[in-house]
Amino acid sequence: MHEYSLAQALLEGLLAHLREHPAPGSIAAVHVRQGELLVLSTEALREAWRILTEGTVVAGSDLVVERVPAKVRCPGCGYLGPVRYLAEEGWHFAVPVLACPRCGGRAEVVEGRDLAIVGLSVDDATPPRPGVAA
Amino acid sequence: MHDTLGFGDVLKRQFELAERNYELLKDRGIRAINVMGAIGSGKTLLIIRMAERLKAKGLKVGAIAGDVAGDDDYQRFKAAGLPAMSINTGDDCHLDAHRVGHALTDFPLSGVNVLFIENVGNLVCPADFPLGTEGDLVVISVTEGDDMVRKHPKIFAQTDVVAVNKIDLAEIVGVDPQKLVADYRRLNPHGRAVLTDAKSGRGVEELLAALGL
Repeated sequence: MHEYSLAQALLEGLLAHLREHPAPGSIAAVHVRQGELLVLSTEALREAWRILTEGTVVAGSDLVVERVPAKVRCPGCGYLGPVRYLAEEGWHFAVPVLACPRCGGRAEVVEGRDLAIVGLSVDDATPPRPGVAA
Repeated sequence: MHDTLGFGDVLKRQFELAERNYELLKDRGIRAINVMGAIGSGKTLLIIRMAERLKAKGLKVGAIAGDVAGDDDYQRFKAAGLPAMSINTGDDCHLDAHRVGHALTDFPLSGVNVLFIENVGNLVCPADFPLGTEGDLVVISVTEGDDMVRKHPKIFAQTDVVAVNKIDLAEIVGVDPQKLVADYRRLNPHGRAVLTDAKSGRGVEELLAALGL
């Protein structure tokens, strides 16, 4: 339910970036990393993006979301790496368990909670000049 | 063509604001708990019961009531004699560190030892927004059914203390609280689940111990 506010934050960051560093063509896609620990609907995020970008320089751009797996560090045994997953019958996805997969100790999350723009795909075609019909 | 951008974690700002709240609370020696949970699970009464016990130990307890609208919970905290404040989120389904930061500026924090921050009733969104509290608690009750943990696995996998409330009604609604506890233990082997009945006060002392209070 907070996809719109986060899409808005992504958009504001991107527009500020583009004011400083204009893209050399029209932006076809915006690439985003979404940590898997977030309770965030990728579909709703993409829909929010479609609506919120209307009338901006990135209108019509595709929001391409890459899901980033969780990674933990164990202060007990020094483990650093992926988490163990719990999959139960009838679940459509497996849930990351935040205990250390090696020693079972309490682990700290080092990756999997971020939502960030990591890149843009820019159409190489020269943008149409003002007054010239496309 | 593919550019690499060096900016952009939109949740980082939330973590920075939460860190600021954490430092402010720590500087003032206030131990704060983010109380999340299902709608109608008994968060408000459970906070009042915990506050009664902490007050009996000579501690001063405050409460912030987060709701989409209204001041009902705030009025209950006030009637229970707690310094309190209400936050209305309007449309948001969760509290965030920014709103809580403003509340902490306005709250009469003087002398407060423990501060309960009651989040908006919701088992989805609050999980993504740290408030800067030292502890987190999720409250559910048997009246929501014995599948509540399985239906919201992420918030339980990430929270170390859970209260299973209204256990006095377990038999009436035909729910085995141990099933909720077992589901939780699978998702969070380090977590502590406490069975409570806020009305009678059963389990409240144990819950305070689980929270380290």
